Order: sequence, then structure tokens, then C-alpha cells
Amino acid sequence: MTPSRRQTLQWVMAAAALPLARWTSPALAAGPGTPAPFEVVAWPPTLPPPPPAQGYGRDPNLMEPKVTWPLTLSTAQRATVDMLGDMILPADGKSPGAGALGVGGFVDEWISAPYPVQRRDRELLLGGLIWLDAQSRALHQAEFTAITASHRAALLDALTVETPDARLAKPVAFMDGLRYLFVLGYYSLEEGKADMGYIGDQPTPGEYPGPTPEALAHYAGVLRELGLPTD
Amino acid sequence: MTLDTFDPATTTVDVIIVGSGAAGGMAAFSLTQAGLRCLILEAGRDYDPQSEVNMMAPESAAPLRGAATPDKPFGYFDATVGGGWEVDGEPYTMREGSDFRWYRPRMLGGRTNHWGRHAPRWGPYDFKPFSRDGLGVDWPIGYDDVAPFYDRVERMIGVNGGRLELENHPDSPANCLMPPPKPRVPEMLLKATCESMGIPVRAAHTAVLTRDMPHDVAPRSACFNATPCTRGCTIGAFFQTTTSFLPIAKATGRLTVVTDAMVSKVVMAGKDRAAGVEYVDRKTGARHKVEARAVVLAAGTLETTRLLLNSGESPAGLANASGELGRNLTDSTGASFRAFVPALADRPRYNEDGIGGQHVYIPFWLYGEQKRGELDFARGYHFEIGGRFGIPPAATLPRVWGAGLKKAVRAASGATIGMTLRGEMIPNKDTFCEIDQGVKDRFGIPVLRFSFRWSQHELNQVAHGQRIAHAVFKRMNATILSPELPPEKLITAGGEIIHELGTARMGADPRSSVVDSYGQAWDVKNLFLMDGAIFASGAHKNPTLTILALALRASERLAARLKSGALA
Repeated sequence: MTPSRRQTLQWVMAAAALPLARWTSPALAAGPGTPAPFEVVAWPPTLPPPPPAQGYGRDPNLMEPKVTWPLTLSTAQRATVDMLGDMILPADGKSPGAGALGVGGFVDEWISAPYPVQRRDRELLLGGLIWLDAQSRALHQAEFTAITASHRAALLDALTVETPDARLAKPVAFMDGLRYLFVLGYYSLEEGKADMGYIGDQPTPGEYPGPTPEALAHYAGVLRELGLPTD
Repeated sequence: MTLDTFDPATTTVDVIIVGSGAAGGMAAFSLTQAGLRCLILEAGRDYDPQSEVNMMAPESAAPLRGAATPDKPFGYFDATVGGGWEVDGEPYTMREGSDFRWYRPRMLGGRTNHWGRHAPRWGPYDFKPFSRDGLGVDWPIGYDDVAPFYDRVERMIGVNGGRLELENHPDSPANCLMPPPKPRVPEMLLKATCESMGIPVRAAHTAVLTRDMPHDVAPRSACFNATPCTRGCTIGAFFQTTTSFLPIAKATGRLTVVTDAMVSKVVMAGKDRAAGVEYVDRKTGARHKVEARAVVLAAGTLETTRLLLNSGESPAGLANASGELGRNLTDSTGASFRAFVPALADRPRYNEDGIGGQHVYIPFWLYGEQKRGELDFARGYHFEIGGRFGIPPAATLPRVWGAGLKKAVRAASGATIGMTLRGEMIPNKDTFCEIDQGVKDRFGIPVLRFSFRWSQHELNQVAHGQRIAHAVFKRMNATILSPELPPEKLITAGGEIIHELGTARMGADPRSSVVDSYGQAWDVKNLFLMDGAIFASGAHKNPTLTILALALRASERLAARLKSGALA
């Protein structure tokens, strides 16, 4: 399946208006961009092949959902992912951090899955974790989890510029993939839904109540702002 | 009934029905009401929505948060059982240069367990397309022939919706439709925007109950405005044959259902008379024959046509004196557009679940312009609408991390609107299916080979849709997220919209059609086709309501003929 076909299918599903949008990664910005703030280490050339794993098949028992493949991150990799989770989606007054919520386990589940999209993400994410440690060692003589918080933040800043230069293209793609996996994993949990104020998943017998007065008042403002008829 | 307790040799029925989806379910319902004994042969497994549909589990309970995979192409909890774009051991092939996908569930109730439920009526132009633009063929029947059956089907299956009051979009008489749900804020904004541009937006007609439907055998409850419909529905709020027609037909005592029964061919009792069918037990591989006074094929457009192509003495297949069998294949066109609407960012939260899918849609509105020759394509399209609170798409989020990312997610949730185009495809000579004699499925049945090509009409049509959708988004000051693409790249692959139709089309003349307007094969008088195979054209409107109406019309005619001895 080509990426464009996959994307089309995801749009088809988005049109079905499932409450949770399907995950799609944006097109990477190309061309010359923000200069890298450090000497960029090489992207790891090859990764060990994934261990054999089975998908859940075309007719799994939907009443008892099960992940049928083993998780494959090492303890150290998982610790790095959890630390990154708490940086990418940190704890604040509204909700806990993604690492503390265990969303790293979802990232592990995703990259360990024996499906084409997930296998591609495995290449990107495992490669990125190796690169991140190598870059940390090159700059600060220690792995990512062992360097200072401000050094870690500087690395993430370098990987979240809008227009990365060519040497950072792969590391930035890694960080994009990881960020969106954390968004998907986090905001589909109860805590994440609460964080974004999601109200739903509540059987509501009778007529669908529709927007609240507050929502309608805001909508009236939208019409005025856009110069659309308000009748 | 399972195969263990079913003895095909001693079973006597009036009618064999191949398939248990919309058409087969309707046939079983109608024919058993008429006092006839029926046997359904369903290729897929037995399926019970009450015990197998996980309605309430959050997506986070599913592997990969319910994401689409090759095993479950519409997400983990989607009700499709045992199939999808691929079915194990049941391949299909393509001619070089063709791109076609064939979606097949393998379950009792077929696609009605997970269909989209958008159920518009077809209008007068849709049945007489040749008369309007000289392309394709007219149906042998018109809207007025089908309208009484639309009325009854809407009441039987439960459709909600409002008035349309638009050219070629017939309104239902009073008491046919249940009231539609209120629109959500993104739908209201789309309506206000479109109407300011002269584009109509109307309440969609959706096969979801908004009022209870009491019944002694199969009572169905009004939608409780939660959970994704594609999972199936344990309360019967949306129409699927497994919670409506099939239990009601079984309660008559005149319906036997055998699942895991893959029908391999129609068995003949003479040149123009079917004796019954041969089927393969999917579990054991054993072959059986079963006989009846009449055979109804409702296996799904392409499976029905494959069966006929694999039956009979002639290499051209059975009931194919016209040579039209396998030809005139169409699917709906598809293209999707999406935008981030800053005006909707950070809007006040409320419960936007509603009845699952869209509450409003954009019916085709340019019939006048088309008639005057102002459009560069024939036939129409409509837009289905999406937009509600949820996880925002990746493309709406800036490349930031930390507190800024959380803030961006909160702001972007509910600020995306999608417009999904569905349009009519005109049959062309390069789009058809045939038997690939070199490839057999795991039952030894030769498989279908597809040839598929969009014509310039379809390409121009989706290009027009892209211009309209992007203009609507711009009027909302929205940021368009879907890339501007040439139509060849924009349009979906053949079959991908899962509206395949027309490979055994009906007509008034046996020389140019496979069946008459009641689905009766011209060449085999006790053989009836009732699914999308008999459509003479595709329209842009989703086909299931019309499949149901035509199957009801055909079933009542079949029952009358069996009772009067006209088929003896």
C-alpha cells in the first residue's frame, strides 16, 4: 500500500467521523532550513531485524482485545521513551505527563507490531533513539537520559524547528513520529480526553441535545467574525 | 442452523437465497412473510451482534489504539469479520494497468453490519441518465416505479432525515422518516458558509433510529447518541439484517440459515431452468447440492456475477446471452478534503457524539448548470461532512514540544472540518470483471480478474469538487490541510468506496441486459438477481436504500409468481 493510498483510506475513515481522528504524519519540510546548532552525528545505518511476531488476524475476539505481539524496546530504550514522553507532553495543572501515564508502553506496542506502517515507524524510532544517544555522547559525553535537563531541552529544540536543514531531516522525522505517537497514545486515554475537555462516550437516550448555549454563543461570534449571515 | 444439523439432501425449500446482506436479508424477510420456505446460504461465519459487538470499550482498549491495519482496515473494533480488502485464500487478480480493490466481509448480515448508513433516495434523473445526457443506458423503470418501495423500506428499516426540496432529490411522504438529529457546530458553520455561496446543505438521510421501533421478535431502540456505528449496534439502532430482517424471518419458522456455505455454482435442470446450487462447506471443504423452485442471488454485486460466470455450459457463463455479464462495472468516485478552521479553535466543549456519522450533507446542486452545458462533466456528486471534537490530526499541530504542544492539541480539537466527495461513475468499456481461468480460490473456484479505468468525466468531476471544497474552506478563513492534487492523484482507486454496481444490469431488452426490472434472468426463468449487480447505472447516491427497495419489489413479484404457478 502506498503512503498516498493509506492517507486516502485514513481520510475516508475521518469522513466516517469516528471520534478519534486517525493518525497521519505531515509531509516533511524539505530544502534548506534552520542551520543545525551542532555537528550532526550520522544516522545509524542498519537496525537488527524485528523478532518474529503475529498480527491479531482478520477475526479477533473484539470483546477481549489482545495485543498478540511481544514488546521489543529494551529497558534502557523504554526509559528514554518515557523521559521523552514527559518532555513532549509534560505534567501540568490539568493532567499528568505522558511518560508517567505509561504512554511509552503504547509506543513500544506500536513499533513492535508486525504491520507495514508500524514496521516503518520502528525503523524511524529505533534509529532515532540510537541517534539521540550518539548525539548526546558527541556533545556531552553521556547518553540522553544522563545529560542535564537543559542539554536535553536544547536537543529537542533542535529537532522541532519548522524548517530543519538537510542533515537533521531524519532526526526531525524521528521526533515528528514520536510526538504524534505520544499525542495519539495520550489523548485517547481518559486522562488525555479530560485534558482536552472531551465530553462524549456517554449514552444519552432521547433526542441528541446538540450544542449548549455557550457553544451557540461562541458560534454566533464565529459567524460575525467571518461576516456570514447570522439568521 | 449449523452445517452439522443441516442435511442438504433432505431439505426442501421454495427458494434458495445466496447471501444475507441487504438484498438477501430483504428477500428472506419478504418471501417468508409471503409464506414461502427459504434457505439462506451465507459464505461467511455465523455472527451475533449482541454478543460480539464491543460497543462501549474505548479505543485505548484496542491494540494500536484501534488504528487501521491490514488485518482490520477500518480499525480494530470495526464489525467486519473474516475479511476486508483481502480474504484469506480468496484472491482476485487485475489486468495490467488496473487498480481495483474488492471489499468482502465474511459474516452473517454481510456489509449491513458495518455500512455507512447514508441512505438517500435516488431521483428521476438517476433512473433515466441516457435520456438526460446520452451516456450509458436508461433503467427500464423510473422513479415512480420505485417510490412506493422507498416509502415502505424507509419505514421498515428506520431512516431519519429532513426535507430536501431540491431538483432530483425526492422528498419522502409524511410518516416515512424519523426526525433528524440537531446539527453540530462545525456542521452549522459549514451550512452557513455553503449557503452564503449558493450551495445547499441538508439533514442527511441516515438509517439510524431516532425513535424506538417496537416489534414482537426484533424490537429496536432509538440511538443513544454514543459509540461509533461501524462497530455494529447491540441495541438495533442502526439497520443491519442481523438485528432486524433475519430474526423476523426466522421467527416465521420458514427460514433456514446455513453459514460457512460458499456457493460455487448454479446447478441447472435444463437449458433455461435452475435446479439449485452447489456449495462448499468452508470448514470441511465438502461439496453439497441443494435444490429449490427458485434461486435468488444476493451475494454482493461481484460475487453474484462471479457465480454466474462460473456456472452454465457456455464459457461465457450462465444467463449471459446478451454478453453484458461482468460489463458496466462502476464504483462511486471518492476524494477527501480537510481544513483547519481557526475560528473553531478553543471553542466551548459539549457532547458532539450524536448519531455517529454526519448529521448534515451537501446534495448535488448543479443540475441546472449541467443541463445548460456549463460543467465539464456529466452526472453528479455529493459531499459527506465530518468535524467534531477528538484528537486533532497531526497536520494541525505545530512542530513544538512541551507545554506548547498540549496547548496546541486543546486548541485544535474540534477545529477541523472534512468534506468527502462521492460521485457518479459512468460505465465505460474498459471497466469490467471476468474469470481468471489461471487462478482458483481455496475452494477450487476460479477467481475474478478486474479491469478498471476512470473516464475524463470522473476526473473532471473530482477536480470540480476540489475547487468547491477549497473555496468553501477559504470562505471560512480555514487552512487547507489536504494537498491540492491533479484529479488522477486525487481520486480513489476503483472499488475503494465499496459501491461496486452494475455487472449484470437490468434492461427492457434481453439483447442488451442480463435481467428484467424484477431481477429475473432473461435466460433462466427461475433465477433472480437482487443485489447491486442489476443496477443499470450508479448515480452519485449511496446504493443500499435502492438495493433494498428493488429487492422488496422483486421479492414480492417472485412470491406472486411462485404462488400462481407461473414459474412451475
